[in-house]
Amino acid sequence: MSVRVGRVVVVGGGVAGVSTVAALRSGGFDGELTLVDAGEFPYDRPPLSKEFLAGKKDLQQIALQPPQWYDDRAVRLVNRAVVTAVRPDLAAVELAGGGTLPADRVVLATGGHAARPPIPGGDDPRVHVLRTAEDAAELRAALVPGARVLVVGGGLIGAEVASTAVDLGCEVLLADPAPRPLAGAVGDEIAAWLHGLHARRGVTTVHAAVESFASAAGGLEVRLTGEDEARVVDVAVLGVGMVPETSLAAAAGLDVDRGIVVDEHQVTSNPAVLAVGDPARTRRDGALLPRTEHWEAARLDGERAAAAILGRTAPATSAPWFWTDRHGLHIEAVGDMASADRVVVRGLLGEPPFSAFGLRGDHVVGAVAVEDSTAVRAARRMIDRAIPVDPVPLADTAVELKKLLRR
Amino acid sequence: MSSGIRVASLDDIPEGEGIAIDKSVTGTADDIALLRDEDGSVWALDDTCTHEDASLADGWVEGGYVECPLHSSKFCLKSGEVQNLPATKNACPHRVEVRDGEVYLFPNEAP
Repeated sequence: MSVRVGRVVVVGGGVAGVSTVAALRSGGFDGELTLVDAGEFPYDRPPLSKEFLAGKKDLQQIALQPPQWYDDRAVRLVNRAVVTAVRPDLAAVELAGGGTLPADRVVLATGGHAARPPIPGGDDPRVHVLRTAEDAAELRAALVPGARVLVVGGGLIGAEVASTAVDLGCEVLLADPAPRPLAGAVGDEIAAWLHGLHARRGVTTVHAAVESFASAAGGLEVRLTGEDEARVVDVAVLGVGMVPETSLAAAAGLDVDRGIVVDEHQVTSNPAVLAVGDPARTRRDGALLPRTEHWEAARLDGERAAAAILGRTAPATSAPWFWTDRHGLHIEAVGDMASADRVVVRGLLGEPPFSAFGLRGDHVVGAVAVEDSTAVRAARRMIDRAIPVDPVPLADTAVELKKLLRR
Repeated sequence: MSSGIRVASLDDIPEGEGIAIDKSVTGTADDIALLRDEDGSVWALDDTCTHEDASLADGWVEGGYVECPLHSSKFCLKSGEVQNLPATKNACPHRVEVRDGEVYLFPNEAP
């Protein structure tokens, strides 16, 4: 039997926090519900490296929910506010400025911040990161036509920023020490092809890490590993990962291990506190899993946390999924390509639409698709339902993938 | 009340898929997606996802819902009600009738 919970405070208005609130109300929660957010209103982050960075959408257009949504659901949105302490012992959270909010349950949806590795000269104001709308707005102002832009990191964010910067008419240099960024997520072949798209769009790619930044005549001087001469750029962007925000959890005495440790219901080591999204790290069967930093994972965390608070059965789990867009192409991946022992390509690799299925034995364990989201949706169901597949029809674009699901 | 616009044969729409009917045919502001669920039933929603520029006719149709091919927001086939982010607005539903294997669309009429 569930204990009735009267007041829930969600700390953080990213997709995890907003999804928690949405799922609580749609699940019938009728108590006091408060969402605390540092910004003016919760907004969606994926567009920050794409449409928002390109200036095609403004902040209102990337709001996670329209303003009326909060009123309609009796959600108290406490905006421009910072939680300074979580006090489960007092059933409250404390706000900067001295206020407190009563809370029988607290959901930490605190996200994180962009990593800034200790590179000499990295504190130069021309060295940007991208995590918040403010970051994106500052970067956008620097991405003027003709600007020489160094993107550090060829992963999801770096590749998206490079693509947007090229679209804006910048001269882009992309540096990553890995020859095939994202190989772990999408497999070697597709990773190589995706990375090669940059050069085709006029981006210069180099296999190098940054050793230092320095102010120089005419710009920002960058020293790259393996290069004798420094390069000079106007702006640099670090896309080298994020650091989860765990300080509130740690200060509240919760179990923290490079993430806020949660069980499979998003509950932390204190049963009155839950954690969702980027900072949450699940312990399953005694083992700590890697944190997931993808958008949908955060959304589903919120649904699980709401179910836990409501005393309901958690929604079914599904293979992890993400999308990214670069150079006009929509790319999706599902599952775990790294655990595949063979890869079956559907269509012609390099000629979108195409997809690649990672198989382990006769089961799909992962898939990547370029301009072919149906393939990834089919793959997701093959993984979730553990449907064995024959690689021959899987590779045959004349065979509908839905037919393979019905076997 | 009109007898609807004949827009397709039932056989044109495989189960679990959709086709888009051009707005020049439907007379609506947006194209209309005809979506056929796996049980064979046919539904119609405005074709463009309410989130971004994606065609719901290219989506995954299953169990009473269509899943947008771009970011996987789900919409109820019957009511158009959005089920999950990133879309926040419902899709506009339209009435459909199947008679003698032909699909008739009643644009802007509630299902």
